[in-house]
Amino acid sequence: MIGWDAARAAPPDDSAPPAPDAKALLAHFHPDHAPDAMTALRIGPSAGAHCPAPLAQLLESHPLVQDVDLAGVPVTEADVLIIGGGGAGCVAALTAARAGARVLLVSKLRMGDGNTVMAEGGIQAAIGPDDSLQRHYADTLKAGHFKASRELVAAMVADGPAAIRWLIEEGMAFDLAPGEERIGGRLLMKRPGGATAARLLSHRDFTGLEMMRVLREAVLLTPGITVLERHPCVELLSEPGGAAAGAVLLDLERQRLVLAAAGATILATGGAGRLHFAGFPTSNHYGATADGLVLAYRLGATLREMDSFQYHPTGIAWPPHLAGTLISEAARAAGARLRNGTGARFIDELAPRDIVAAAILREIAEGRGVARDGCVGVLLDTPALEAAEPGILKTRLVTLSHLAHRAGFDPAAEPFLIRPTLHYQNGGIAIDTTGRTDVPGLFCAGEASGGLHGANRLMGNALLELVAFGRRAGTAAAEARRTPRALGLTHLAGWERALASAGIPRTRRAPILFPDYGNVDVAALLRQAA
Amino acid sequence: MQQATLTFDGHEIAAPPGTSLIQAWLAAGLPLTENVGCMGQGVCGACRVLVKRPGARIAEAALACETRAEPGMQVAFIGHFPAARTHAYDLAAMGDGWSALATLDATFPEAKSCRHCGGCDAACPKHIPVQEAVTLANAGRLPAAAALFDTCVMCNLCVAACPEHIAPAHLGQFLRRMSAAHTLRPGDLMLRLREVEAGTQAIDLDAVSP
Repeated sequence: MIGWDAARAAPPDDSAPPAPDAKALLAHFHPDHAPDAMTALRIGPSAGAHCPAPLAQLLESHPLVQDVDLAGVPVTEADVLIIGGGGAGCVAALTAARAGARVLLVSKLRMGDGNTVMAEGGIQAAIGPDDSLQRHYADTLKAGHFKASRELVAAMVADGPAAIRWLIEEGMAFDLAPGEERIGGRLLMKRPGGATAARLLSHRDFTGLEMMRVLREAVLLTPGITVLERHPCVELLSEPGGAAAGAVLLDLERQRLVLAAAGATILATGGAGRLHFAGFPTSNHYGATADGLVLAYRLGATLREMDSFQYHPTGIAWPPHLAGTLISEAARAAGARLRNGTGARFIDELAPRDIVAAAILREIAEGRGVARDGCVGVLLDTPALEAAEPGILKTRLVTLSHLAHRAGFDPAAEPFLIRPTLHYQNGGIAIDTTGRTDVPGLFCAGEASGGLHGANRLMGNALLELVAFGRRAGTAAAEARRTPRALGLTHLAGWERALASAGIPRTRRAPILFPDYGNVDVAALLRQAA
Repeated sequence: MQQATLTFDGHEIAAPPGTSLIQAWLAAGLPLTENVGCMGQGVCGACRVLVKRPGARIAEAALACETRAEPGMQVAFIGHFPAARTHAYDLAAMGDGWSALATLDATFPEAKSCRHCGGCDAACPKHIPVQEAVTLANAGRLPAAAALFDTCVMCNLCVAACPEHIAPAHLGQFLRRMSAAHTLRPGDLMLRLREVEAGTQAIDLDAVSP
């Protein structure tokens, strides 16, 4: 490992790095491929499939509540129940409500406190003159190593231009190219890592914040949507035939259970970064604890590509109190270089994220990393970027500059020390092009769903996915509305038998709702609520 | 840097060196189920706190994920509560834009009563010149007002601080949304939408292989 001062003193070498053998690089250095990173699921609809061991522990776990706990619990009814108040949930709520459904949107934290608001880089849509839907489709499939569903990717990509129009109609602003007029002008487009065209649309470097504050305001002002915040879902309700019938909610404010009855339920519960696989820090929000996967899986929903997670190349490595916090790909898209401790570039900065992350981990593993106060990483050369394009840090990379300020240094004078951070769940709950899961009455949209990114996601496809499939799931759920025949937890009997035959201890219970360092005793909360 | 002892919601806690207030809360073993979201990016506005530093006369509003723990601080979470009145409008019903000022007046009538007390400016953890933005909006300078609100995270502290119930954050959000929804019409997007509609952008699912 090379010390901070020695690395800073190393003369920068801007020669192009050698093209890596991508397969070997991923196999040796990507965290998904580390020995013992994955384990096979033993029970449930995806038995035999692989996923990280800590996630398998949650998927193969006992429920938090039983049928007996539901006696006398108040019931609230809706046509469409949406679980999760991030981008996908809000888009689905707006779409379903406008289709005439009575919508209940429930959220563990507050509406908006999810990963969407944290997205920085932008949203992909094939709009440029040299670009096409076909190229966006091909880029997405290739970046995902051809593991994604072709039908789902085509649906997402085809929705792209209309999704941008829809967002503008909701009041979301996008950057225009310099000097362009608001009517008839050209949008500012950047090339995302791994893409063959400039396709990334943005609102400065806080695109997700711009999107989320527009969606939240729209939800609050749209008639027909009821919002319950601080109401995590602890179990899905089922009918005797196995169809979804709503959810059991825990009202954290009043410490009581509530049943939400609905013939159509949309899971928009996001990802799993707060499980910190292999001890990695995460860029995810506090609530990213895989709750939706756990609940859908025991109700019979198939999962796919659960062995694939995105480690964003540029998380903060130093200072430690910001470890894992994201530095947007926008910095590299704007031209910032990565350097190891010898001052050399070691990877094409705009290669797909899995390749860049693996290359960084290779540099660290092979001793060319940089150490600062015991924190290890590589350098993101913001001073050279500022020197090449004076003013860019203040005007276009606002969030990055703000982050450096909080870290206590000037990014125009000092580089960031970065290392990969657990960022995104590439797989998830299997859906079709309308957002339907394998469970009747259960839909899914956003990061919780699987099939759109294969084994690696392109920057900017997450925001597109949540709009495209939020709208698709919202539409399909509104059409599918009906009154549940019965409310219960009938699916748990078979599930508990499977757990028992696999010898899974009763102490293992999920969903966990909050990270283990959140100091929350969920079992105690439920005892008080029961 | 050394460990900092501070008071947080009545708890005496010791914060490890360099930690943010929200990390200090967790490190002290205190349960966290609310007043938290993005955990450090400073974009969700959930972790609002009042902070009083030793020797300071008044407490300041801040975000706990963005504020370093310092010795002797007195800190309290600010709970979230609904605004006194929903400032409701319908972008789709606003017509061609000539009624923008009328809609602004009808939706945010209190904005005209700004008494320039500066409470909103003091409350904003993002240092937005909120009062100036409201003044600009009252003067019909809508894009200038909207631009000042661009980095707003909708934490609603200015809403809580305003004695006239102006709801400045929502006024800013209204201006920004109206501006995009009524005036942003990118030519390249319109062109591509027409191509998609005309069927000249069809996707061949099998045209690409590993």
